[in-house]
Amino acid sequence: MKNKITSLLFELNVPLNINENPLLLRIIVSQDATRIDFGYSATSRYIKGGWIRMSPEAYIQLDGSAKKYSLKEADGITLAPDRINFKSTKDWQFFTLYFEPIPLKDAILNIIEEENPSPNDFNYYGIKLCMAEGVEFYDHD
Amino acid sequence: MPLSKLGFRRLQIIDKCLRSNMYKYPNMEFLIKAIEKRLLLDVSIETIQKDIAYMKMPSPNGFDAPIYYDRARRGYAYSDPSYVLAGVPLTDHDYNTIIESVAIIQAIAGSRIGDKFTSAMEKVLSITLEEFPNSPKSYPILQTMNPQQSRGFEHFDIFYDACQNKKPVSVIHYSYTKRRFSSLTIHPFMIKEFENKWYVLGYSEKHDEIRTFGFDRIYSPIALKKPYRYTDRKIIDEKTQEYYGVYPIPNQAKQQIVIRANALATNYFEANPIHTSQRLEKNENGSSTIYFHLIPTLELSRLFLSYGRHVRTLEPQWLSSFINKL
Repeated sequence: MKNKITSLLFELNVPLNINENPLLLRIIVSQDATRIDFGYSATSRYIKGGWIRMSPEAYIQLDGSAKKYSLKEADGITLAPDRINFKSTKDWQFFTLYFEPIPLKDAILNIIEEENPSPNDFNYYGIKLCMAEGVEFYDHD
Repeated sequence: MPLSKLGFRRLQIIDKCLRSNMYKYPNMEFLIKAIEKRLLLDVSIETIQKDIAYMKMPSPNGFDAPIYYDRARRGYAYSDPSYVLAGVPLTDHDYNTIIESVAIIQAIAGSRIGDKFTSAMEKVLSITLEEFPNSPKSYPILQTMNPQQSRGFEHFDIFYDACQNKKPVSVIHYSYTKRRFSSLTIHPFMIKEFENKWYVLGYSEKHDEIRTFGFDRIYSPIALKKPYRYTDRKIIDEKTQEYYGVYPIPNQAKQQIVIRANALATNYFEANPIHTSQRLEKNENGSSTIYFHLIPTLELSRLFLSYGRHVRTLEPQWLSSFINKL
């Protein structure tokens, strides 16, 4: 009998905007959490590359559902009001957000940092997750 | 009941005493002194008597040791001189070779791999009941360049496992030149160290070709449960034998490269050939023309550049121009 799949990895590389910043790199859906990996490259638009932070109120919502999957943990980025200040316009930061687990089924995700976002907020809309495209992985923990 | 590590050490010392050609038929007093001297702690007659009884017990509970007490000589001995307490007997040469190997690996590979190797060797020696020397305070007599642990070296284990057990790996990669992140899947077949930097070589699904990725640019590698794409042995050989360094200059095939080295630089190339294809034609004044047949790499270019005015690239012309622009 085939084991039931309990976690899947998706390599996505979805840009937030034309500057590709931050890039949504990977989503891991499991029974424990929904993990989302991001990469941010500092730019010369801001002095010394500026700063980044994540709202503790951030959540995931699935298209067609009002349920919010809240942020549980952040790794590599501070939660507001604290922030990570870059030291140069050439810095970069890899960070991971852990949200409540979403169901393991085809879905369209919206990642909402702010409900009334400014261009600086990390809101992503319409991220398609097709379970058939996910890959099982070895759990190293 | 399993024997403690200390217990094993006592047995080891008793075994050595019984096998000693210098002092045959050691008595109880001799054994106690030998153990106290090696372990720096007091032991009682009862403990040694129990140890000897334990050694004499049949396997698997004991060690089947043929120990007997010789009343005439008032000491203990093995009735079978070929008996070894456990496992394979090690000569002093074997033992010293293992200890030297551990020291060399510690020096070359750094503490992480070295510690793993030391731990493994401790197990090997415990099987043979040889004692691993506790000499961390001794001054090292072997030193190699040992830089601070670099970013990404913590990925060593996962990539080693992936190469060995043929597992694709999902990684987050940051390109220093493009200043861009990407998530991609690689099918690694080799880990390579060059100038104290670590790299993984493998087929990249995104690039649809063999690529080299620096550990320092990789984040969060995760081994995947999906079919592994094998890389042709010929390609692996090419990657290992036809390069000097790690990153080939794009779109360049294996070719002849010729440099002119002055007398000073010639000494270094002569003493430390950088590639199996290196052929050196020496001139009367000590300078030389040096030929290589390999795939040009960034590292080769940087090496030539590092010699400054002492080395000049003669062929191919494009490489000379490339180096001048570095």
